Amino acid sequence: MKLFDVWSVLLFSAIFRVLLILYGEWQDTHMEVRYTDVDYLVFSDAASLMASGDSPFKRTTYRYSPLLAFLLIPNSIVHRSWGKFLFSAGDLLVGLFIHTILKQRKVPEDLCIYSVMVWLLNPFTFTIGTRGNCEPIVCAMILWIIICLMSGNVFQAALWYGLVVHFRIYPIVYALPIILVLDPRFVRSGLKPLLLNWSALGKAPQRSTKVTHPYNVWTALRGIFTRGRIMFGLVSGTVFLSCTVFFFYLYEWEFLHEALLYHLTRTDPRHNFSIYFYNIYLHSEHEFSLMEKLISFLPQFILQLVVIFCFAQDLPFCLFVQTVAFITFNKVITAQYFVWFFSLLPLILPWTKMKLKWEGLCCILLWMGAQIHWLMWGYLLEFKDTAPYFNNKSMQIPAMLINLSE
Amino acid sequence: MGTSIYHKLRVLFILCFATGFSSSIVVQSLKQYIMKSYFEKYECLIDSNFQHFIAHQLPYALCEVVVPNAVRFSVLKRRLIGEGSHRHLSSSIGFHIKPEFPFHFCEVVIVERLPSGVFADPFELQHLHRRGVFGDIAVFGDTNLELPSFLSNRSAVEIHIDVVGSNVVLRDENELEINIELPLHARYLPLDDSGYSTVEFGDPDLFMRCNIEATLTNQVCLFTPTRDRAESKAGTIMWKIPSGKKAHSGVVFIVTFISAISTTLLIVLASLFCSDIDIRKDLKKS
Repeated sequence: MKLFDVWSVLLFSAIFRVLLILYGEWQDTHMEVRYTDVDYLVFSDAASLMASGDSPFKRTTYRYSPLLAFLLIPNSIVHRSWGKFLFSAGDLLVGLFIHTILKQRKVPEDLCIYSVMVWLLNPFTFTIGTRGNCEPIVCAMILWIIICLMSGNVFQAALWYGLVVHFRIYPIVYALPIILVLDPRFVRSGLKPLLLNWSALGKAPQRSTKVTHPYNVWTALRGIFTRGRIMFGLVSGTVFLSCTVFFFYLYEWEFLHEALLYHLTRTDPRHNFSIYFYNIYLHSEHEFSLMEKLISFLPQFILQLVVIFCFAQDLPFCLFVQTVAFITFNKVITAQYFVWFFSLLPLILPWTKMKLKWEGLCCILLWMGAQIHWLMWGYLLEFKDTAPYFNNKSMQIPAMLINLSE
Repeated sequence: MGTSIYHKLRVLFILCFATGFSSSIVVQSLKQYIMKSYFEKYECLIDSNFQHFIAHQLPYALCEVVVPNAVRFSVLKRRLIGEGSHRHLSSSIGFHIKPEFPFHFCEVVIVERLPSGVFADPFELQHLHRRGVFGDIAVFGDTNLELPSFLSNRSAVEIHIDVVGSNVVLRDENELEINIELPLHARYLPLDDSGYSTVEFGDPDLFMRCNIEATLTNQVCLFTPTRDRAESKAGTIMWKIPSGKKAHSGVVFIVTFISAISTTLLIVLASLFCSDIDIRKDLKKS
């Protein structure tokens, strides 16, 4: 029995988000602790600088694309909450896109709606958007790229991919699986890659095509440089480079250093979810040796390759596992990074054989417990001075293991 | 040992001279800030340079008309409020102004030279300024909020308070008391074997800028009020901040990388066995 459709879930979520934004306004004016994310204030300051013709990078700690500041210019003209509405709209779009992708993969409607609810009613995600974090926009762009690929619109997918990599660098890790999924063996008419369709649990899943024809070096090489792949590479590369050149022309090295290079070289010695943080802090008085840098980079690199190699044919699943692996072994992890894979989780949930009761519930509780446990030590260290760094550090390894085992 | 000292000196040199961006974030730039003049002359905040600057380079010349000991002050109370890495430095300063001091308008200028390892967030102060908690307030020096203390320079906060204002309590016509609570944050400190490092706060530097009747053109005069040491009750303020232990370096390095590598291997194996690629079959064939 269908209790509600996707539109009523979206409407409820929209009303709820508007109420949260209004509540945030009230809390900001009446309480010392703000509801608004501190990054939102950074974006807003950068936007107001841009509105007055200045560089957004004059706002220290603004380390994003100038496009973000541009999107938030109405913050200083219309209302300071403009950006929150924009990010929450992105948040709702993610919900809608989850539904679209699952419908295209022939997932039954009730499962589609449950999956949409996993995103829209997740306390973690609805607070991220309404507090003014830009991640929902990035998530919406990534899901839209998947939709474009599924509909065979490689050109549009490439346009958005170039843009999203410019906007936030981390989706660069999705380049290889996207290129692989554009394999002519899996692409049917109209450059439409076949993805795994849903089938009832217990039945064998309908994997796409099996390769039966003989395969030699020439066909392999010819297979690598297909029209779709070349177009995707060229278009996305052109969009990324055009954005970079354009903003370099406007804001010069400041842009390149703050919005791009900073993220590639970032090692944060302050406590965060990363297993590397304490090691970075303990060694921050001297330069890391090449060997140390290599050891910390290798797990991320190897995992990306292995995951792509193993799961590239199921693009949403591959992107999800890639994101989890990328975040888990990153040198800096903040809570907002979790949103990156939360948006991909509903895309793989209908295929899970795990029952919510009790296996699923155990996983959710274990994950939450690990994060809360870590946060407790973080809180004691930062707000009470009572927890030594070592405790904080030792809690990160179980948290990481749980994160991975889920 | 020698390498370590060389390294520290090199870092200090780079910080003070090479980067040369000792920034200042002025919440409201209408007033003339003392620390702005200081940082125009010096790259870093160093106590000896500051004392020299106050003694020889501040424009005291216009203040000859000032009645001797016209304004006396004493630090009544000074303490750190709160716990953890985010605290408030609360100061209560009492002033005694002689009745014969002919001023139209006065403002008290407080300069808090923050010790290394502690910083004030200029954007937080801006927020408090907008909410009317502070009047004119600015942070000078290294305002990069993210750097650990050994990679950052010291900074100073300059607060301007009108003698009639919300932070000021008039005890009687000639006595007034100023109360301020400055939000401060701890940086990540250099490693210490005890697991804690202590930073020490000095006394604030106080100045007065007054519009004096007796001068020919009602000039604005900047001067240092006399400190009433007998009445000052403030002692040294210490802030014990957690820091990393050098002894942990080896263990943490090994544990971090063993767990990273072993979990990576586990995921690699799990991925290979869970994917459609039939490794067992391939292995048998080979």
